[in-house]
Amino acid sequence: MNRRLPVNFIIGAVLVALVVGTAALSLVWTPHDATQLTISNKFAAPSSTHWLGTDQLGRDVLSQLMAGARNSMAVALVAVLLGGSVGVALGLLASAIGGWVEDGVMRLADLGFAFPALLFAIMLAAVFGPSLTNAVLAIAFINIPVFARVTRGAANQVWTYDYVLASRAAGLNRFAISRDHILPNIAAAIIVQATIEFAVAILAEAALSYLGLGAQPPASSWGRILSEAQTLMYIAPQLAIYPGLCIVVAVVGFGLLGDGLRDMSDPRLSRER
Amino acid sequence: MFELDDFSVSFGSGTALRYANLEIREGDRLGIVGESGSGKTMLALCLMGMAPDAATISGRLSIDGQDMTHANERLWQQMRARRVAMIFQEPMTALNPLRRIGDTVMEPLIVHDGLSRAQARMRVLALLEEVGIPDPPARMRMFPHELSGGQRQRVLIALALACNPALLIADEPTTALDANVALRITDLLVRLAHERGMALVFITHDLAAVARTTENIVVMYGGDMVERGPTAQVLANPAHPYTKGLLGARPDPTAPARDANGKRRRLPTLPGTVPPLSALPQGCRFSGRCAVELDYCATTRAPDHAVDANRAAACHLLGGVKP
Amino acid sequence: MGYFIFRRTVGFLLTLLVVSAVVFAVMNVLPGDPALTILGMDATDDALAALREQLGLNQPVLTRYFLWIWNALQGDFGISHSFRVPVSELIAERLPMTVSLAVAGMLFTLVIALTLGIGAAARHRKAGDWGVMFMSQIGIAVPAFWLSMLLVLLFAVKLRWLPPGGFAGWSDPVAAIRSLILPTIALGVVQSAVLARVTRSSALEVMRQDFVRTARASGLSRRRVLWRHVLPNALVPIVTIVGMQFAALVTGTIVIENVFYLPGLGRLIFQSIANRDLPTVQALVMLFAAIVVTANFVVDLLYVVIDPRLKART
Repeated sequence: MNRRLPVNFIIGAVLVALVVGTAALSLVWTPHDATQLTISNKFAAPSSTHWLGTDQLGRDVLSQLMAGARNSMAVALVAVLLGGSVGVALGLLASAIGGWVEDGVMRLADLGFAFPALLFAIMLAAVFGPSLTNAVLAIAFINIPVFARVTRGAANQVWTYDYVLASRAAGLNRFAISRDHILPNIAAAIIVQATIEFAVAILAEAALSYLGLGAQPPASSWGRILSEAQTLMYIAPQLAIYPGLCIVVAVVGFGLLGDGLRDMSDPRLSRER
Repeated sequence: MFELDDFSVSFGSGTALRYANLEIREGDRLGIVGESGSGKTMLALCLMGMAPDAATISGRLSIDGQDMTHANERLWQQMRARRVAMIFQEPMTALNPLRRIGDTVMEPLIVHDGLSRAQARMRVLALLEEVGIPDPPARMRMFPHELSGGQRQRVLIALALACNPALLIADEPTTALDANVALRITDLLVRLAHERGMALVFITHDLAAVARTTENIVVMYGGDMVERGPTAQVLANPAHPYTKGLLGARPDPTAPARDANGKRRRLPTLPGTVPPLSALPQGCRFSGRCAVELDYCATTRAPDHAVDANRAAACHLLGGVKP
Repeated sequence: MGYFIFRRTVGFLLTLLVVSAVVFAVMNVLPGDPALTILGMDATDDALAALREQLGLNQPVLTRYFLWIWNALQGDFGISHSFRVPVSELIAERLPMTVSLAVAGMLFTLVIALTLGIGAAARHRKAGDWGVMFMSQIGIAVPAFWLSMLLVLLFAVKLRWLPPGGFAGWSDPVAAIRSLILPTIALGVVQSAVLARVTRSSALEVMRQDFVRTARASGLSRRRVLWRHVLPNALVPIVTIVGMQFAALVTGTIVIENVFYLPGLGRLIFQSIANRDLPTVQALVMLFAAIVVTANFVVDLLYVVIDPRLKART
């Protein structure tokens, strides 16, 4: 590619690298144990030992945020992978078979849009009790229709290409063609969508954990840290600032990266922006 | 009334209009012909004060003696519709699809002339009648998609005439229309110009249409005005090599539209294509495609040379040098 | 056109039916005993049996489903376990709060997004355009609940201009509006950011069309062309988004009500989850899903009103 990299791609990539790097680092090292309570040292100001200070239970804020990054990435990854693979499979199936199967899958996808992740998580939490697993399932669930639509749209286009028609004429079955020809061709579109959905998933996890429908104590999640910080807003407003900034950085990062990837993979797709 | 002196328009990538000199007086009927990319639409947009923002303008444009070269948008808004109006090539898309015809034509009357809706309605009925739209009260309530292309172009003409402009610019008004509809629109424009004493600038690449409608003609190529004069004389006896080529490229009206195999006959064209703005030669724009080119044509711009009392052409060959 | 409306209406009703089936299925058919969920592990067998009887759990699933639908259509969503009153009463009591908030959020979104979106399009590739695009990029990424906290920190804690939460009803309109300001902003900012972007790109597309040139050629001011000609045409694709956004705003109220302690349906859902009040949760989830589906249906119908070309085609 001889064009310059799009600005949004570069900024997005830097932010994503920062967040993913932090999450990876937290697997092997955090300044302190994120869940280590030291009641005697609560609300400590930033210092050389606690770079961002400590919270109401004396836990190290920076370590919590790093663990939160790991939690965010893990949830988004699992949810998008799970919802994405089901969605892509459904989309490919709809496109390969066509007819009433395609109509049916698409109607189901429409239906999926009637359930925001929040409603789904609420139902699951009401029946099974709130847990991070339920939050992941809910986020994965809303990803299914999104990916089914994108996949089917892109795949339908590829089915009209000459060489796909040729391999049909050569007697390859539709599922083999879907796997060998359609999927590689629409991979770019799917990756772009996945990046954007990653940002959506991070936001959704934060909201669910904030509401108590996601990560349960003592697990560190940006959303959960914020819900604790809210009750302390009059005493320690700084605790409410950092986790929110982390969410914004992660979401902006993946959002820009997705936009940038789309601009690069197919300039025609990028609307006048 | 309208005057251009050494008027040029350039972009970062090249010059769209170069040293244009033109005078339009009341009631003139002027044809501007040339291929696409010759600068004729740019000329029209400049007369409307609607040159793209990125354009750099030099020279002088005046309307009624007032210098409009670098006039601001507010000043132009006063001119548009009242002094100069324009109709465009694509009647199918030139009307707001969400508005009823009546509301569209009434708008300038209400905005510029301060008419009430009732007064504006009466005027619009008269205007639609004037441009030959049957049953105006019913058509006023229609949306653009309910009208044919010819009807829409008539509506656009009515819209342009609403505030009695002194000059109407018609930019290829018939290109998108069927031949017989096109003919009727052309005749309508001439009739209206005549009846209203309104000047008409008719931009086209259709030489037959220009012969029908105009008294004088300007031939443009690559942003230059290469030849000018009374329409009949220029068409009968062109002086500039480009005009000659253009006339040679004129389709033979007696040839059948389809050949023996039933395929649509291709129109004859000039050899080569108009180069993009950025690749035009510095001198005579036509050098490179010209059959009788001199060695310095590509580097030196040809000034206007008088062909006779009221004709001129910008060609070195007319400057006394013989090939 | 009649056929179009008929088809959409049938589709809408079918969607509602399927949505209700999904809600019912998740809440009733998935492994798990609602009675056990409600009463908890240490309930006695007698209490469980009594509750099962009361919930009608001994009847076949399909019977229970149709009974639920049938009653719901008559406004009967059963009895709340925790509040010991009909769920419909709870909803009626709290619906005005949620509707006020959602409508205020929608108005905020429309005003902000249309102004910024059209403004940015008019200044395409200039500073104002970049500014709007940058702000919207951030706006999309800010979690509504965090924004709420920041707003409370600034306007309620620091400046003390507005109350930090709560809502005392419409009997004192000034106080009511004051308590709605921060929640409305928090709710509307994300959707405004999304809609401003869509409006901008839609307007840019419209501005390239020939009729805009015609309007300018008739000597109309830029402002008039922008608001009278470009905006209505730009709205056509925007309407779909607005429908989805209204749905998002309605579900967004669930979060916002919990941040600002507003006594609406969103608070009720969480109280009911905490109280393991399944009939109430089920009714509320169904209600929210129905609002989402209805919003999209209304948008479909709006198209016909907005775009005269559609009338001819359908």
